Amino acid sequence: MNDDTLTLYFYKDGLTPAERRDVQSALDNDAELRERYARITTTLAQFDVTDSAPLPADMLARFHDSIDRAARSEQQRASKLPPQTRWSPFAWGSAVAAALVLGIGIGLFAQRDQVPAPGINTGIVTIYPPAPRATSVAFERGLQVYLRDSQQELSGQPMNTERSAIALQLIRQNRLFERAAEEHNSKDLARVLRAFEPILLRLAADDISEREAEALQAQLAFELKVMLTKLGRNLSEETGPI
Amino acid sequence: MTMFAKLLFVSLTVLASAVTSAQNDDSEQLKITALEALMSAPPQRALPIVTRVLNGNSSTELKERALFVLAQIDVPEAQAMLLDIARSGQNGMRNEAIRMIGIGGDEKSQAELADIYAKGDKTTREAVLEAYMIADNTEAVYQIAVKSTEPSEFESAVQMLGVMGAREELRALRDRPGMAEILIDAYAIAGDVESLTTLANDSSNPERQAQAIRALGVTGEEGVVDVLTTLYRNSTSSDIKEAALEGLMIGDHDEAVLTLFRESKDAAEKRALLQTLIHMDSDAVWDIVDATLENGR
Repeated sequence: MNDDTLTLYFYKDGLTPAERRDVQSALDNDAELRERYARITTTLAQFDVTDSAPLPADMLARFHDSIDRAARSEQQRASKLPPQTRWSPFAWGSAVAAALVLGIGIGLFAQRDQVPAPGINTGIVTIYPPAPRATSVAFERGLQVYLRDSQQELSGQPMNTERSAIALQLIRQNRLFERAAEEHNSKDLARVLRAFEPILLRLAADDISEREAEALQAQLAFELKVMLTKLGRNLSEETGPI
Repeated sequence: MTMFAKLLFVSLTVLASAVTSAQNDDSEQLKITALEALMSAPPQRALPIVTRVLNGNSSTELKERALFVLAQIDVPEAQAMLLDIARSGQNGMRNEAIRMIGIGGDEKSQAELADIYAKGDKTTREAVLEAYMIADNTEAVYQIAVKSTEPSEFESAVQMLGVMGAREELRALRDRPGMAEILIDAYAIAGDVESLTTLANDSSNPERQAQAIRALGVTGEEGVVDVLTTLYRNSTSSDIKEAALEGLMIGDHDEAVLTLFRESKDAAEKRALLQTLIHMDSDAVWDIVDATLENGR
C-alpha cells in the first residue's frame, strides 16, 4: 500500500468505500503500516488541512469555479477546432489537474489566514502566492498527474493524424504547469517544462516526417518519465520512506 | 532489499551488459528503461554510470537520453561534463548538451554559452538561444541582439525575446534602424500592447503603422478593441481602416465588428464588414443576414 493511498485515506477523499475498508483492515492487521500511517498523518497534520476545519463556503465555491472555468475555457477552445482535433479524455483529466494545482492555493490560504491573499487572475483561474510546503507538495502531486498522463499519451498509440492536435493540447497544459511552477518558485521545474515546449511545437508542425515525429515523441516520453521518477523520488524523500 | 531496489539493480545490470552487446530495438529499449531508473539512484551512483554510457559506444539516441539524465544529477561534475560536450561534442550531442545547460540553469555554464554562440554555426546559435529561453535568461538574449551584425541574427534573437515576453528588452531595441518589421512581430508575440499602440497611432510611416495595427490583433488582449475601433472610425485612409478590421478579425473581436457594421451608413463599407463577420464565423452574422434580407438594412 503506497503513501498516496494512505494520504487519500487520511483526507477521506478519492477512495471508494470498499477501498477505505481495505485500508482500514490493513491498518488493523499490519503494525508496520500503522507506524507508516502515523508518520504520514503527523506530517499532513502540520499542514493544517484536515476535515475538522472545513473550507468557508465562499472559498470552496471559488475553488470549484476555478475548475469550472478551466473546463469551460477548454471546451470553448475545443468547439472551435475541427472534429478530428477535439480533446481526448486525457486532456480533460489534465485540465482539471491543472486547475487543481493552480487553484489549490485558495483552499490552503483560506485555511491558514481565513482571508485570501491577492491573486493573479489568469482568466482561467486565480493564482495565489506560494503557500507553505503543503502547497508545494500539492503542486508536485498535480504535476505528477500531468507528467504521467502526458507520458502515457505519448508512449501509447502512434499519434498519426491527431499528432498536431495532441501536441497543441499538451502545449496548453504544459504552459499552465510552467506558470504554476513559476508561481510556486519551482524554477528548476519551470525550466524543464519550458524545455518541453520547443519539442512539442516541432511535434505539432505539419511538415515533419513520420520518423521525425516518432523520434520527438520518444524523446519527450523519455524526458517526462525521467521527471516523473525524479519527482516521485523527491516526494518520497519529503513524505518519508515508502 | 526493497522491490524498487531490486528493480533498479536488474535495470543497471541490463545496462552494463547491454552496452557491449549487439544493438537491436529490444536492447536499446532496455537501456533506455535502465536510464530512466537511474533517476532513482543517488547522484554519486548515477553519475559514473551515465558517464560510462556517454563515453562508450552506445547509439546517439541513447547518449542523448543519457544527457537528459546527466542534467538532472545535481552535482558540479555533471555540469562540467555538459559544458565539455557543449564545447566539443558532435553536432547532435553538442546541441543537446547546450539545451541541457539551459535546463540546468547554472549561471556559470550559461555564461560559457556566450562563447559557444560566438564561435558556433547557425544550428549551434539556435540551440544557444533556445537554452537561454529555457533558462529564462532575457539579458543574455538581449546582448546577442545588441551585438548582432547580421539582420538574420538580430531577427532570431528578437524573435526569442518575443517568445520570452521580454518587453523591456524589446523596447530598448526600438531604435535599431531598419528593424521595425521584425520588432513589431516580436512586440505582438510578447503582448506589448503599449509599444504597438504607440506605433499604431504614428502615421509617419503608413506601412509600419498598418503592420502595428494588425499586430495589435495578434496580441489577443481585450484592451486592444478600443484602440482598433477608434483607429477604424477616425482614419480616412482605406489601408488603415483595412488593417484595423484585420486586427479585429485576427483578435476574434466580432462584437466590435458588429458595432461598426451597425454604425455604418455606407453600403460598400457595410458589405466589407459583413464579409469580415462571415470570415470570422460569427454567430451574429445570421441575425444581420436575416435583418438585411427582411428590411434591406
